[in-house]
Amino acid sequence: MTTTDYEKAERLGRKRAQMLPLFAILFLTQQASYFSGPNVDSGRPVDHIRIAAWLAMSIVLLLVLATGGGWFRSREVRALMNDEATQAHRNDAFRFAFFAAMIACVGLYVLGLFEPVGGRDVIHVVMSCGIGAALVRFGMLERRAYRDA
Amino acid sequence: MPEGLANRLREHRAGRELTQAALAEMVGVSRKTINTVENGVFVPSTTLALKLARALGCSVEALFSLEQD
Repeated sequence: MTTTDYEKAERLGRKRAQMLPLFAILFLTQQASYFSGPNVDSGRPVDHIRIAAWLAMSIVLLLVLATGGGWFRSREVRALMNDEATQAHRNDAFRFAFFAAMIACVGLYVLGLFEPVGGRDVIHVVMSCGIGAALVRFGMLERRAYRDA
Repeated sequence: MPEGLANRLREHRAGRELTQAALAEMVGVSRKTINTVENGVFVPSTTLALKLARALGCSVEALFSLEQD
């Protein structure tokens, strides 16, 4: 690994730490628009596009969380961006996300006792809570790690 | 700092006049990882602890110890 690799990894890692909370806000805002607007059953093409966009974003964010990102960088830079402290942060974020998703499930179960909740809506809420919580936690831990560095 | 674990990485690094970035390059991790270890936020793996000790020319026990010791 060269010094340039270390500098690149440092710069990209900091950028990732700054971007993660922004992605979380964007993702959860999109979630809010799903529930405030007409659902996909309305048959309007724009709603299908909105749902597809949410699904695509969910998959991309899941992949970022699972791999640490930096897909178009060299193997060396990726290894530095995802060294053992980062992996520990990701593991912690996944643990946090699991609890957030389970709490969402409990909430939806209770809600289901009083009014019917659609399967698609349930998936939407559980995925959004899980991914959103992981993004926030990962971003928070990474930002804290870079503080004073 | 995890309960019961003391580390003297910062003192050893500073004693050898190394920056966090220089030490990070020597052991093949990011500067962030060195920073989190020094601040006691992250407990390194045995592998990384051994690499740090080798880079700083000391034993692992000199860098990390149990607080009651």
